[in-house]
Amino acid sequence: MDVALSKNGARLLRAFFCFVVIFLYAPIVILLIFSFNDSAVPTFPLSGFTFRWYRAFLENGDLRGALETSAIIAALSSVGAVVLGVLASLALTRRRFRGKAAVSALLLSPLVIPYLVFGISLLLLFHRLGVPRSVLTVVIGHIVISLPYTILVLAPRLDQVDASLEEAAFDLGASRLRTFRSITLPLILPAVVSAFLIAFTTSFDEYAVASFVVGTRVTFPIYLYSALRFPSQLPQVIAVAVVVLVVSLGVVIAAEVGRRFAERRFAA
Amino acid sequence: MATADAREPPAPRRRRLRLDLTTPTLLGLPLAWLVVFFLVPIAIVSAYSFNVYSLDPGPHGFTLSAWHDFLHSSIYLRLFWKSVKMSLLVSAIIVVLAYPLAYYLALSGTKRKYVLLLLLIAPFLTSYLLRVLAWKVILGDHGVINSFLFWIGRDPDHPISQLLYSRFAVMLVLGYIWLPFVALPIFVSLESLDTRLLEAASDLGASRLQAFRKVTLPLSLPGVFAAFLFVFIPTLGEFVTPSLVGGTSGYMYGNQIVDLFGTGFPDWETGSVLAIFLLLVVAVLTVVFARFLQPRQVTAD
Repeated sequence: MDVALSKNGARLLRAFFCFVVIFLYAPIVILLIFSFNDSAVPTFPLSGFTFRWYRAFLENGDLRGALETSAIIAALSSVGAVVLGVLASLALTRRRFRGKAAVSALLLSPLVIPYLVFGISLLLLFHRLGVPRSVLTVVIGHIVISLPYTILVLAPRLDQVDASLEEAAFDLGASRLRTFRSITLPLILPAVVSAFLIAFTTSFDEYAVASFVVGTRVTFPIYLYSALRFPSQLPQVIAVAVVVLVVSLGVVIAAEVGRRFAERRFAA
Repeated sequence: MATADAREPPAPRRRRLRLDLTTPTLLGLPLAWLVVFFLVPIAIVSAYSFNVYSLDPGPHGFTLSAWHDFLHSSIYLRLFWKSVKMSLLVSAIIVVLAYPLAYYLALSGTKRKYVLLLLLIAPFLTSYLLRVLAWKVILGDHGVINSFLFWIGRDPDHPISQLLYSRFAVMLVLGYIWLPFVALPIFVSLESLDTRLLEAASDLGASRLQAFRKVTLPLSLPGVFAAFLFVFIPTLGEFVTPSLVGGTSGYMYGNQIVDLFGTGFPDWETGSVLAIFLLLVVAVLTVVFARFLQPRQVTAD
């Protein structure tokens, strides 16, 4: 006998689960349908199949520019966040020092700060320092908010890696840096990759902080936000939405599958 | 790093470059980054709220007047209270909805639980703004729901216009956005539950309901609290969703802060007070409930 669920209970919960999944995906499917709908407004009845919104989006230079800017910012900030995250995670898992609890609280605190408050704070800082707002100011902010996510992925993985492997390498004459490069890094590589992906997607999608510190080159979320106020651009935006949603779902699933595969291989 | 790997320097040189990864080396950069770009900026906003620092020309010095005005203004506090109620309601509803989902995944013995979990969470990992956009398309006066109703015979002059630009729309969209995420910490706490406890309860004659009430539920409460806070905190400071689907009745505290820093009638001093107040509330909540926010619980595979 199953102690947690009766047969009917399980059936009921499965039905509920299916219902919620439909609720979660229906809006995405609706966007998909209307991205091929031959009408300037997304309304029923559907009025024929077209690729013109996808063509319009490919020909829209502003939109492509915004996607490019976001990709650059996401790449720079995720590399930065992963480097800082690896350093911090090594210290948290391999070193003993006073005030560790306070340090780890500080490192994770960007998780709970309202991004709105953080965006305003950064704006005032750059104002005070006289730093003009640019791609770089967004990168700085995104590194801060991605850092805790990278630590949350990296630190548990580092915890699993047997520290005696590192000690052995060290005893055999390898420097700390070489030990890290030849022993630790290969072992935590799957976690590094998923930390990178999490930081990348966090940055690529981030609106609140960017909206305060962005310069003249707008990011994709900021472009989207302003496009949402002009109905004429709606079908095009829906087409982009579909592309971005499908790509990001694909990346998420590929990353997860890849990580599981890699960790299973390392575990064996 | 990769290029350094490709061309290994000769052995004697490597000796000289030997770099010890001491604790200060490891922690220096991350901590410095957070101090300069996280703590100092917040300190500047606090200073601004006390008028110690200001962009306005003219004399400025320490004063509590902006704080005094804020704490005695019915407008800001009422708006804050309204946002608290909206966030509480959204968080409570989706935690209640997510619990059975997590329970099903963790305890029904389904073999594909990680695949199903990924299916549930994947929407959360896609673009936030695009999911709001989807609801704008669905709920509008000429949106999917209304045009569908016209199509099947409703009078086109009378759309259901409360769908979009309302408090309801804000709460629906926020719930939609956060629901997948809430299931995660609950799932983790249910998954780590020792099912032998349930067997023991059953052997001792407890019904499934009793076992749930006396064993499963209490043991999963940390996950439930964590889930609740992980939604409550960001929705309390939310401004993007209300500004896109909220209209005037869905206006939240976060929108007020943005407007105070905006282009209309900027008042950075009052805005700083509102921002710091929000930060304090969040900080207190985080500290009080810190024991439920064990990071390990969220990062489990």
